[in-house]
Amino acid sequence: MPDLRAFLAGGGEMARLIRETDWAATPLGRIRSWPQPLRASLSIALRSPSAAGVLWGPDLLFLYNDSWSAYLGDRHPWALGQPVREVMADIWPALESQIRRVCDEAETVNAVDMRLVRNLGGRVFDSYWTYSLLPIGLEDGTIGGVLAQARETTEAVEKARQDHFLLELTERLRLCETPAALLDAALSQLGRHLGAIRTGYGEIDPDGARFRILACWTDGKAADISGDYPVGHFHRAASDPMRSGRTIAIEDGEAPGLLSDEARAKWRSIDTRAAIVVPQMVAGRYGAVLFAHDRAPRSWTAADEALLAAVNDRLWQYLSRARAEAALRRSEERYRRIFEQSNDLIFTADLDQMITACNPATAEALGLPREALIGRSIRDFVSEEGFEQTTRMLRRKVEHGGTTRHEIEVHRIDGQPLCWEINSALTMDESGRPIGLHAIARDVTDRRKAEERQRLLVNELNHRVKNTLALVQGLALQSFRDGRPAEEARAAFQERLAALAAAHDLLTRESWEGATLTQLVEGAIGHHNEAGRRIDMAGAEVTLGPKAAVSLVMALHELATNAAKYGALSVPGGRVALRWTLDGGDRLRLEWRETDGPEVRPPETRGFGLRMIERALSADLGAAVHIDFEPSGLVCRIEAAPAGRAA
Amino acid sequence: MRLDGIRILLVEDEAIIAMTAEDMAAELGCLIVASAATLDEALAAAARGGFDVALLDINLNGVDSLPVAGRLKAEGRPFVFTTGYGASGRDPAYQDAPLVTKPYRVADLKAAIAEALGR
Repeated sequence: MPDLRAFLAGGGEMARLIRETDWAATPLGRIRSWPQPLRASLSIALRSPSAAGVLWGPDLLFLYNDSWSAYLGDRHPWALGQPVREVMADIWPALESQIRRVCDEAETVNAVDMRLVRNLGGRVFDSYWTYSLLPIGLEDGTIGGVLAQARETTEAVEKARQDHFLLELTERLRLCETPAALLDAALSQLGRHLGAIRTGYGEIDPDGARFRILACWTDGKAADISGDYPVGHFHRAASDPMRSGRTIAIEDGEAPGLLSDEARAKWRSIDTRAAIVVPQMVAGRYGAVLFAHDRAPRSWTAADEALLAAVNDRLWQYLSRARAEAALRRSEERYRRIFEQSNDLIFTADLDQMITACNPATAEALGLPREALIGRSIRDFVSEEGFEQTTRMLRRKVEHGGTTRHEIEVHRIDGQPLCWEINSALTMDESGRPIGLHAIARDVTDRRKAEERQRLLVNELNHRVKNTLALVQGLALQSFRDGRPAEEARAAFQERLAALAAAHDLLTRESWEGATLTQLVEGAIGHHNEAGRRIDMAGAEVTLGPKAAVSLVMALHELATNAAKYGALSVPGGRVALRWTLDGGDRLRLEWRETDGPEVRPPETRGFGLRMIERALSADLGAAVHIDFEPSGLVCRIEAAPAGRAA
Repeated sequence: MRLDGIRILLVEDEAIIAMTAEDMAAELGCLIVASAATLDEALAAAARGGFDVALLDINLNGVDSLPVAGRLKAEGRPFVFTTGYGASGRDPAYQDAPLVTKPYRVADLKAAIAEALGR
């Protein structure tokens, strides 16, 4: 008699368990009575290297192999012979219709990477399965049960999903230009992918004491916790492991003994029970952190950790690049602003001395818009010799390196000459070959003009001093001649010097540009005019040039001195009337008339004073001078040519 | 060496200095036969002639008197520059012409006139 239980041989641990189980009291009955199709199917299942089992009878009682027992956890061995809807209660709603189809329609079901939401002792999680369900026919043609084969593919599916996620994330990050955009993209993608309530990215201060959450994504309900915190703020015990680069994953912050009361209160205030925090080591230092939070307890998987670590890496990489680019842009912007706003003239040219770029100051100095300058030769703005000079400078730099500094006359586009001091150096390509030059020039036209003006002024001053000394020499020679008493000669000389000095004072005050006749008269003879009663002066407003002014002052001084010595001013009651007019607006007529003085007789010889009056005025003012010794008093008429005034 | 009777054309815009020059010339026994204070007068006087040597102020009231020097040189008439600018103010074309700087002494004037006359 054949052993009706032989089909169980070689079926592993589960086969032994099945054999040792007393089935008599179950709907399956003694093993001996099990129909051939059941025995055959079970034999196959038990020998299958992958998870396999048989669901048998109207209640679909579950018989499974060793591999399947590993999937059942603590429900094994209870599950053996139990109705499948009880063994797999958590996924039964998803399976029931499929199994009905197998049993009622004799169809085969093949599922690939089917998502099944598991619930084991209240822990809910996704799982993925690839399985087949085959009908087991009885001899009468009805379906007695289901042969099931299953393989959990959760890991592979999640790996593939993560790979896909990371690929998409990388694509997106590539398009982000600013750190803010990068963080926004990465945190929101990660948060949605994980189904978290919050994700965030923080950076740790160089001294490791504080960290700043730079950006935070939330599901819309959770609070944004961006901000500045001391390290250890949310979980003190986590800070040390994190400093050495270890991930912290907390399934439930409410678990007894895990968090301090203070920390737990913080977690509650931000509606968080589960957290995973992945540190990023930067140059061997705890530099940054990426985290995800959940409202409910959550068992973070190795895949979650790997995902966060991968996102953290990418984020760091792209952030560093974006920051470097931003810094470069800022730096470029800064230099561009200097270039744009500089008062100095900055330009570049190629080795053929064609202008390749220039700043607005250069364009303005040369009188052309910038676009019109670029592409023009330096030759267009300098003379032939000037171009030889710039070419020589360029050759010197190419041959000996360094910079050159030279002054050159440059012509604006309208021909106006400018003097530029140019500093320039070669621009090199990566291999150190010269490809052009960059130059900074300063317009020194005004400085050169000022220097020239200065030189002329010093020269002119020298001339005037010498001339004045010659004048003094003349006054001395004239004052001390003719055998006059020394006392008198000295007094005359001193007065003449004083008059000359007064005239110069006046001219200095007027910047040597001339003085008005009224001022000159006041200065020359004011001191003879006792309380304004002796000399009555009136005339038009006339400005005299420096030389004419000095001559006129000297002449008036001589007239007044003469009057004080021999004429109207030598006696009490004597008076002088001084009148001047401008004829035809331009010709100066001046009359000095003495009255009420001693009777006048023409002198036998004319002294230096009167001689000088005639000579000086005729020479310096182009004046005709008439001195009449009328008995009532001396009259001097001066008629000055127009040219005399401008000198 | 005497300069008695030497006839002088005096070109000088400053009256007092001209008077000084006249006195010095008199002291040397020379005669001022013509005076000019402007470029035009000086050119006219140079054209008229009748003098042995000219005293020529380089700067006539801001106007350069070189045209007069040119005329004198062309006609072979001796002249002496007078100037307040110093020797460096002399045009390079007349480096050889005698020059006295203001203020000058009788002896300076005498030596310069003698040099101009080739004595």
